[in-house]
Amino acid sequence: MTSVDLALAGISLGAIAALSGIGLLVTYRTNGVLNLAQGGIATLIAYAFREMVVEWNLPKWLAAIIALAVLSPGVGLLLERFVFRPLARRRASAAESLVASLGVLVLILGIVAGIWGLGSRSDAPSIFPNSSVRLFGETRIGVDALAELLMVVVFTIVIGLIAARTAFGRQIRAVVDDRQLAELSGVPADRVAAAGWAAGTTMAGLTGVLLAPRFQLTPYGLTLLVLETFAVVVAARLASMPVAVLTALGIAILQSELKQFTLDGNAGQILTVLQSNLFIVALLVLLLAVPKLRELGSGDSGATASFSSRGAPPSGRVSGARFRQDYLGKLGGFALLLAPLTFAPSDLRSAFMVPALGLIFLSMVIVTGYSGQLSLGVAGFAGLGALLSLKLANGNLFGLPAIPGIWSMFLGALLVAPVGLITGYPAIRRRGLTLALTTFAVGAVVSRFVFEQPTFANGLYLDPLTLFGWELSEKAYYVFELVCLGIGLLVVRNLHHGRLGRALLAVRDDSSGAAAVGVDVRNLKLLAFTVSAGVAGLGGALLVHSSYSFSADDFAPLQSLLWFTAVVVFGADSAAGAIMAAAFIVTIDVLAPAGSSTLAIGILALALGWMPGGLASAVRGMLRLFAQHLADSFVDPNQRAPRPVPVRISAVGHLPATTGITGASGIPGVGATLGAARAGHYSQWPLGAQRTAADPRLTPFGAELVTMVQQYAAHRQHAVVGQRAAPSQVSQEETR
Amino acid sequence: MSRGVLQAVGLVRRYGGLTAVDHVDLVAPPGMITGLIGPNGAGKSTLFSLLTGVEQPDEGQVMLGTTDITQMRPDIRSRRGLVQTFQVPSLFPTLTVADNLLVGAENRRRDYAGGLLGLSAQGRSRISRTAERALERLGLAPKGPVTQIVEDVLNSLGLSDVRDTIAGTLPTGALRLVEFARALCAQPDILLLDEPASGLDAAETAKLSELLRSTAADGVGILIVDHDVDLVFSVVDQVYAMVGGRVVAAGDPETVRNDPTVRSVYLAQAPLAAAGQSGETR
Repeated sequence: MTSVDLALAGISLGAIAALSGIGLLVTYRTNGVLNLAQGGIATLIAYAFREMVVEWNLPKWLAAIIALAVLSPGVGLLLERFVFRPLARRRASAAESLVASLGVLVLILGIVAGIWGLGSRSDAPSIFPNSSVRLFGETRIGVDALAELLMVVVFTIVIGLIAARTAFGRQIRAVVDDRQLAELSGVPADRVAAAGWAAGTTMAGLTGVLLAPRFQLTPYGLTLLVLETFAVVVAARLASMPVAVLTALGIAILQSELKQFTLDGNAGQILTVLQSNLFIVALLVLLLAVPKLRELGSGDSGATASFSSRGAPPSGRVSGARFRQDYLGKLGGFALLLAPLTFAPSDLRSAFMVPALGLIFLSMVIVTGYSGQLSLGVAGFAGLGALLSLKLANGNLFGLPAIPGIWSMFLGALLVAPVGLITGYPAIRRRGLTLALTTFAVGAVVSRFVFEQPTFANGLYLDPLTLFGWELSEKAYYVFELVCLGIGLLVVRNLHHGRLGRALLAVRDDSSGAAAVGVDVRNLKLLAFTVSAGVAGLGGALLVHSSYSFSADDFAPLQSLLWFTAVVVFGADSAAGAIMAAAFIVTIDVLAPAGSSTLAIGILALALGWMPGGLASAVRGMLRLFAQHLADSFVDPNQRAPRPVPVRISAVGHLPATTGITGASGIPGVGATLGAARAGHYSQWPLGAQRTAADPRLTPFGAELVTMVQQYAAHRQHAVVGQRAAPSQVSQEETR
Repeated sequence: MSRGVLQAVGLVRRYGGLTAVDHVDLVAPPGMITGLIGPNGAGKSTLFSLLTGVEQPDEGQVMLGTTDITQMRPDIRSRRGLVQTFQVPSLFPTLTVADNLLVGAENRRRDYAGGLLGLSAQGRSRISRTAERALERLGLAPKGPVTQIVEDVLNSLGLSDVRDTIAGTLPTGALRLVEFARALCAQPDILLLDEPASGLDAAETAKLSELLRSTAADGVGILIVDHDVDLVFSVVDQVYAMVGGRVVAAGDPETVRNDPTVRSVYLAQAPLAAAGQSGETR
């Protein structure tokens, strides 16, 4: 084929990418949300269109109308009404909107996988007839390419005119600028936002329907293709539609032109990959080259503190009850993690995934929860850790001798750390959206150029692991995984405590404020990325041993998005949340059909609007509420002085909550719960000093309980003679 | 003593065709309060950013003592004793007030690696006591145990009651005070304050000027940029007045207030003129 033919062949893909870019820009410029779910929506509509045409035998034109004029805008309207309008109403940060759109993506992927399965289909119907028209001489152009190009031109002009020339365009700008102010000036903000969403998702649907027949239709594959077109909107700096269109056509034509070259050796291999992956490379290059995206609003989309609910661990001495509560929690968690050792071998093998995924999630806690960077490329680090450790164990990395499996894992993880350092460099000056996209692009490029390449990823074999000559049994391997997880937890703990922890949180909360008092923002960001990459690498190495083979799919770029969403859902700054998330995903994947965990995480992500700190903080809040409720059932709330209140129970003498009924006196469950209550709501109860306020009256239940406690304490006092009198016992004596 | 004098030498900053800061010289010595005034668009904020390192000048130098700090990042400047506060208080909202101050007090050293390995501050100092002593001799280590600094500042600013309050829950006036306290904990030689009185009521402003005087009396140099001309003229030892990117008058408050250029500029601006005159009639 000649250059002209190749260029014409590229036009179709370029036009589709342009349509996707137009959709993204429309949603962004009308709502301030970069819709990461665009790919998911495209996939959903493509599947629906195929279902109608192939399975239900509807005529194509009817199916197209239903898919593009009913379903697509319908999805947009639903999203606006139930997901993004509530966020806009409470002026959620751009980071929250980004996570919400990730949640939508994950949810839609879960739905698609749930309905149509994860397998690929090659019978996606094409809207346009498969014919071509003659341009000149022997040169022909496909009808589809012409039609798509026409659509791009028409949409660009129409949208451009609406934005520049109509009152509606002005309203859009007003709503994006300040929604509340616009509403006060009589602009129907909700309608404007809804129109933006409907137009954006219609474009997404169109993209999906047009792309599907050109490639295999798979839930993840098509989604990723659409995500790659983000290169187009980055080139447009999130603003200029003509630039987006020209970039899309340019990249697609260039990619097509590359097909006429062949090279030998490594260069040839790179060229082959480039011939089908120019968009993702362009995304990375553009992100590194474009100095600043023209983000809407304050551009503070990096403020991840909004989904990290907690500050530093207390710097002073921790109260005994709080300490006991933490200790009990940790012990319980550890016991649960040990439980798989009692499982049947096949279940134990499934449980292998938990510590491995847990480590990968911990790496995200470090980067996102503690240092506040949005990182969507963790699968890349994990995959590199897996690949490098395997290569070290096989003895084909840089001519190094084969290293025993266990040590190769640690060494592999250490080798990933510098990659994290390099990735961290763009993070010094980038925040929020730009950083999120950059890390995603890094993960995607690594996936395409390394994991999917036979040279790197084929012919690797997994030897049984040995430690000092002993072959690890499955149980021993699980214990080894737990040790690794322990190391990860230790690293996380050290990153969260003391001066280092405070400095990291300072960077997360306000990086310019941190710099103003001398916090080394740059090196701390790099440190977080480096350590996080190492931890993720170790997790990846464990993961590959858990699944007995290296598969590029395990570390696909979309995994990063799913994992990130899971971590945020379970509390981005909670180490326990990270491990719970891992256990949750693995459990659901084992018990339910494929894609169920994706669906569950998606649903939970959309519920984030109601629990801003993630599940972990929601659970903490519930415990607190429950403890408060329990405390209220001891003491009649109506009779109690406003909080903070001293507790004095006159009927039976002093029974301060701090001494009488906590663990020390020995009613197990109650003590722990009240400990929780004190740590939270009742934190201001004076600890026994002033007991002069009004006496609250006990409820019947409370009175009964107090009598029990009194009897118990009396009994105990008789039993333990000569023991130093605790305050509660002193008060008991006073009563008697 | 030359250490601690902040000096701007021939600073120029252009944005396209506009010269926002045009060959500005400025000296802020330790133990003195220096004011920087000027109408909107005079280039005050740009000059401030050049001094703190948020922006780089096109020409000229920023000196701290005998060191050229022009190319240094804000955090390095801060570790060298040049600490700033912001127009909008920028605290760490999820940390307690005490922890906010601790971050300020702790960061004259950068060795985060020890923390990563889980060494406590005590453990580290045992390991590297010699190194620490050497740092102290260079004037880079904190002058006392960090927690002591924080307690002292909390007490002297009357913030002890809120020491364990999460900073994000405080009202604006308190935020300003905490931010000021955090800056003090970083043990500055020079404090750069960007509109410290904005958002404060009259009583809080009075308290602030008292605080500024006592801080300066402790030997800290202070540079204030503020619209509140009353505040500036009531506390400063010397004033720089900027118009159109240039310093048009400098010297003690009396001289600057009577400078014809300053008078004409402030008379042209109604609200500021009133403020300026009320300062004059006092």
